[in-house]
Amino acid sequence: MSEQVQSETSLSPLRLDAESEWGLALVGMRCPQCDWHYLGPPSASNARCPHCFGADLMPVETLPDHKPYHPAPEILLPFQVPAATANERITDFAKDIPFAPYDLEADTLRARAQRIYLPVWLVDGDVQAVWDAEAGFDYEVVSHRERYADGGGWNTEETRETRIRWEPRAGQLARHYDNIIAPALESHAALQHALGSYPKHDAQAYSPDKMAGILVRLPDRPPQAAWSDAVPAFRSAAAKECRQAASADHIRRFRWQPAYANRNWTLLLLPVYATYYLDDAGEPQAVLVNGCSGQISGKRRASMQRAQRTSLVISVIAALLFALGLCLGVTGLAVPPLIIVGIVVALAAFVAGIVGASIPIIRASRFNKQVSGSPDASN
Amino acid sequence: MSKFPPPGFVKTGSAIPNIDVYMPAPVSQDQESEVLDFKCPQCQATTAYSVADGGLKCAHCGYYAPPAKEVVGKGAAEFEFTVETMEAAAYVHGWGTSRRELQCQNCGAHATLPPGRLTHTCPFCGSNRVLQQDAPQQSLRPRFLIAFEVPPETCQSLVQTWLGSNWMTPRALQEMTRVTKFTGIYIPFWTFDALTEADWKAEVGHQETERYYDHHDKEWKTRTVTVWKWESGQVREVFDDVLISGTKHLSAVLLSRLKDYDTEALVPYDAQFLAGFMAQAYDVPLETAWERARTDMREHTRGACRNQASTSQIRNFSMSLDFSDESWRYVLLPAYISTYRYEQQTYQVMVNGQTGTVTGQRPVDWTKVWLAIAAMLAPSALLGLAGVFLLIVALPLGVVALVVALVALVIGGIFAVRTFQKARGMDDV
Repeated sequence: MSEQVQSETSLSPLRLDAESEWGLALVGMRCPQCDWHYLGPPSASNARCPHCFGADLMPVETLPDHKPYHPAPEILLPFQVPAATANERITDFAKDIPFAPYDLEADTLRARAQRIYLPVWLVDGDVQAVWDAEAGFDYEVVSHRERYADGGGWNTEETRETRIRWEPRAGQLARHYDNIIAPALESHAALQHALGSYPKHDAQAYSPDKMAGILVRLPDRPPQAAWSDAVPAFRSAAAKECRQAASADHIRRFRWQPAYANRNWTLLLLPVYATYYLDDAGEPQAVLVNGCSGQISGKRRASMQRAQRTSLVISVIAALLFALGLCLGVTGLAVPPLIIVGIVVALAAFVAGIVGASIPIIRASRFNKQVSGSPDASN
Repeated sequence: MSKFPPPGFVKTGSAIPNIDVYMPAPVSQDQESEVLDFKCPQCQATTAYSVADGGLKCAHCGYYAPPAKEVVGKGAAEFEFTVETMEAAAYVHGWGTSRRELQCQNCGAHATLPPGRLTHTCPFCGSNRVLQQDAPQQSLRPRFLIAFEVPPETCQSLVQTWLGSNWMTPRALQEMTRVTKFTGIYIPFWTFDALTEADWKAEVGHQETERYYDHHDKEWKTRTVTVWKWESGQVREVFDDVLISGTKHLSAVLLSRLKDYDTEALVPYDAQFLAGFMAQAYDVPLETAWERARTDMREHTRGACRNQASTSQIRNFSMSLDFSDESWRYVLLPAYISTYRYEQQTYQVMVNGQTGTVTGQRPVDWTKVWLAIAAMLAPSALLGLAGVFLLIVALPLGVVALVVALVALVIGGIFAVRTFQKARGMDDV
């Protein structure tokens, strides 16, 4: 890496006049709890932090130098999932959870939903390199499959199989690559896992009108750190082009000695619906919806506290019925037929109490076990 | 990537601007002239490949040039059945079909060569020439050959011995026949490799003894019955260098008997090996030859499947067979061809130029054959007559003699039939 990150120094600290770069009036905001930074319309300056949901955002006027970085985005993916669809996903998310936390209700989730943009670095750059690789060319071979049966003789079927002929290739390239993606957030991998992929080919040029009322999370990862993730993407783009240059169908063992120049960093914004609920401990749990695919992610757990409370209520009722049964039994000393009624009521209350009280706890813990073992995005 | 471009690489076309692509320089194809003349660099006399010395030799001044290429044996490059190759190979008539006019560089004589001929020796001055034939693909040019190892001088004694090696031939054949002129020829062959994997199932008969009650005789008896049980199995056979002749001009029967070539002796094709010998290009296309080889392979695999059954009594046999790892080579293999005349008839004889195996046509002395057959059947006939006579005088002895006569008839009959078949086989070549 012979060159310093060219445009690093041009990433100025946050200013209140971000309007000049972003084309609309924005204010800087910070979460006092998780220390994440956002840009958003002045109206959103008291919104709940869409990351930790633990505190309301506070407007900030200045930030330490170079952090966070906030160049104007070059492209963004608009929200392709309408709010109605996102609400449906949220409703489905909150459905069918036995003994769901009291706060986990579709209406609550929907009411708290916010639209935010997550940033991803885009780096453009010139690359000069010498390279070598093995280029693979598809070709077909003719083979045969035969069947034999007594009385029927041989039946021959010609088959064709595609194979790859690998040949060494070398070369040099002088190319410019645009919009190579690199993570702008430390939690990029976790978010990608939770939200799934985005259709990057649907990205549109940034325009301020697509930002109305939406919070933009600012990168917490500087270009220097993101560069190491961009290099494999450059390499991959170069390998693909070298394969095309060699008119090959495949390429492998691609090696190169690149020299980079004229790097320029901008942002790609990815749309997300964010909401939350409070769990048993009163901790906010985030629920995120991919703004393009509608994939939803969040912890979908039964509330053990609620299950235990239900069990307790059942136990108390059963205990009261059991006591009633005993009372009837004692009364039976005077009115003999009541002895049997009392015994039956007491026994029934006892059994119903044991079984009924354990059902909520068993059901809730089984549900939690199931969802923690399942690979879906609901954890 | 210390040096760019890497040694031996040449620039090639690129489909993307500002990306240069280099590839290994194509292996230089022999850009030799279409017709190669073999002249001694010392005395300008004609040179030819010497079997005894294993190189190019001048009979006039003794100049010797050893062959430059090493034995590659079974490591000789094999080719896949690519769609392109199969299409190109099917187009056999696109090359070597027209007769070729040649003018001898030595004496100026004109000669017309039949299609497919790869070599020519001028009948006037004896100069040797090898024709570098065009082919639709490089792989369809002869790439490997087995050089002659049997000197032509030894052919005569080999053939004389062979002529006298069978009692069915006329007694005078060995003494009267002198086969003197042997023509060394490189015969085109295809070699095929493949792996066959087969799944089979069949009903296999097992002999079992059972007791049953005979209502007629009113007693318990035993009898053998065949019990059919389903069996199945898997067979995997590897075929290496299956040889299929690439020429229609020579007897397929004789060529099939000549196939004990050892492909470990394969060397890369070099025109030097052909100097002084005849050589023929293939006229049996690759696909036809491959079909024949596949037929042999699948029948062999079928036999292996049937052998896997627990008994030889099999019915409702079925199998599926997959070919894989198929590959082929086009090679030239050495042989000597000659003819001899016996009682106004011409017979062909061939000698394997590598192993010295002799095969060919031999006249059959049918008088000898019939006498032999009669001798094989005579003991049973005599014993039968004796048995009939003894039946009259001593019944038990007569019965024994007749039984022995019957056994002798069966044994003699088997030998007689086999002798007859062998004689017919010799006569039909």
